[in-house]
Amino acid sequence: MKTFICVMAAIIVLPLSRATAAADIEAGREKAKICAGCHGADGISVSPGIPSLAGQRDQFIQWQLVFFRSGRRPNLLMGPIIAQLSDADIRNLGAYFASLPANTKPASAKPDEALRAKGQAIVAQHHCANCHTDSFRGERAAASIADQRDDYLVKALADYRSATRPSVGVAAMTEAASGLSDEEIAAIAQYLATFQPAEH
Amino acid sequence: MSRKSKGWGAAAALPLLLATTLSASAADLKSYDASKPSFWAHPPPDWFLGDETEGQKGLAPPSGPATPTPADELQADLKKIKLPPGFKIEVWASGIPEARQMAWGSNGTLFVGSFGATNVYAVTDTDGKREVKTILKGLNMPTGVAFRDGSLYVIAINKLLRYDNAEANLDHLGDGVVVYDDMPPYVAHGWKYLVSDKNGWFYIPFGPPFNIGLPPTSVSQIRHVDPKTGLAEIVGLGVRNSVGGDIDPRTGDYWFTENARDWLSDDTPSDKLNHITRLGEHFGYPYCHEGDIPDPKFAMGHKCSEFTPPVVKLGAHVAPLGMKFYTGTMFPAEYKDNIFIAEHGSWNRHTYQGGRIERVIVDPSGKNAKQEVFASGWITGQRDYFGRPDDIIQAPDGSLLVSDDWAGAIYRISYGK
Repeated sequence: MKTFICVMAAIIVLPLSRATAAADIEAGREKAKICAGCHGADGISVSPGIPSLAGQRDQFIQWQLVFFRSGRRPNLLMGPIIAQLSDADIRNLGAYFASLPANTKPASAKPDEALRAKGQAIVAQHHCANCHTDSFRGERAAASIADQRDDYLVKALADYRSATRPSVGVAAMTEAASGLSDEEIAAIAQYLATFQPAEH
Repeated sequence: MSRKSKGWGAAAALPLLLATTLSASAADLKSYDASKPSFWAHPPPDWFLGDETEGQKGLAPPSGPATPTPADELQADLKKIKLPPGFKIEVWASGIPEARQMAWGSNGTLFVGSFGATNVYAVTDTDGKREVKTILKGLNMPTGVAFRDGSLYVIAINKLLRYDNAEANLDHLGDGVVVYDDMPPYVAHGWKYLVSDKNGWFYIPFGPPFNIGLPPTSVSQIRHVDPKTGLAEIVGLGVRNSVGGDIDPRTGDYWFTENARDWLSDDTPSDKLNHITRLGEHFGYPYCHEGDIPDPKFAMGHKCSEFTPPVVKLGAHVAPLGMKFYTGTMFPAEYKDNIFIAEHGSWNRHTYQGGRIERVIVDPSGKNAKQEVFASGWITGQRDYFGRPDDIIQAPDGSLLVSDDWAGAIYRISYGK
């Protein structure tokens, strides 16, 4: 309980002490115009393999941009676009995408129920909610993964598994994905892409 | 908390972590066999978790902010820092990702190494206006820097580089000259620190590529390296992860900090402040920790009495890194020749400690040691930071500069009545 109180105190105090340097959502919106072509005008992607960013966690976005900029997350498309961003740009983009209403529409109207059930079991077994929270909308540097595109979730997990993409939280995702089979990854993606809070 | 999901910003998962720790079973514990060259050369990304125990299960290093904390936020954060009366702390420079060891150029440039950011920075001061430049990029963990006779020295994982006439060439340092590379390529605990002695030789620590085990013969040691000839001697043995040291101005002896092993418990073993008094002295790793705890697995029949104990036990998981003897005149006279130690703070402990600057008062022989907290307050809540001190350097006016690789900043601590 003591822990919980500490966490709450941090949440309440932080915005006050940081008011002087708040990220600029409008500046982020301006910078994000170039992103819309692939990630969607409202931050919800309709392109295969490209993630939705609406409602994504501020810190997670910032970390990914820093990884792209430094080349630690190599990507032919993102690398050159991100290369010239300043730290302030990155903070503003994080705040902007976090401010957009998240996708709540499951990615597929007709999920494979057997695969979904398997995915649910694997997600529970691996305690994904410990960092990504029970709603799978993430927290701090842990990504929002609910109702993300399943083709992107498959790609992300495969990239973590092969360590071609760095993990925040030191090696948390590299570790989580390291033992997954292709079939398990497909099941997790199916479950998260069609996640509905009520059933949890 | 499952091993499958540890490690994000720790506070986020705390309530769950505490609840699930109680029901964790031994079968879930992370375990690696680190006793082979293939592990040393290619450790898994989570190599530091490989000796997980029931008691410490689920603990992992926290992730900091993605970008350096802006100066105005930091200045507000610094109001939380506690210092003795008469001292004050302020932001000296910001926007320095993962700032590590600092070194002064002879014309007043401050050189700064970094951890994973691969950069070396130069901070220049023109009429009180400070500018941060990234002067080197793409080095493999260039944590250690030094400056001598006009040259900047940078130590990356497996080479010591020299850049001549550095202060005049901040915008085009070139590729540098490799002056020493008889060094193993192991990245785990392979990040280093540089201390130059009066003859221009460097003391350089070599850490083992894992938490605990019988180390490769090229590491767990302190070397004394001559950058002019590339020759070296091994001066200290049985050293785990040391990333800080300094020469005692009273004697010329080398003193160094050392991070003790993880995964024993929250309160043992203590991290150390050590003093080398003779060539080849052995400080205990991996057989004995903090001078009096035989390792449960790697004591291998040895007794702690065979090894040199620490001068000071600094506390478990406080993570002492950069240190300096104080030789200035700005601080009150009783601070003369005291040691200041930057403690980076815990990750393998349920409630963080360290994350502060410690003051040690000790005779040149190592006798009559006393320690006290000098500056504290970077830990917020049970397991989070707003900053993590990692190195200390004295400024020409006698104030102290403190680097922080979490906030990406350098602070100045000064004294005035």
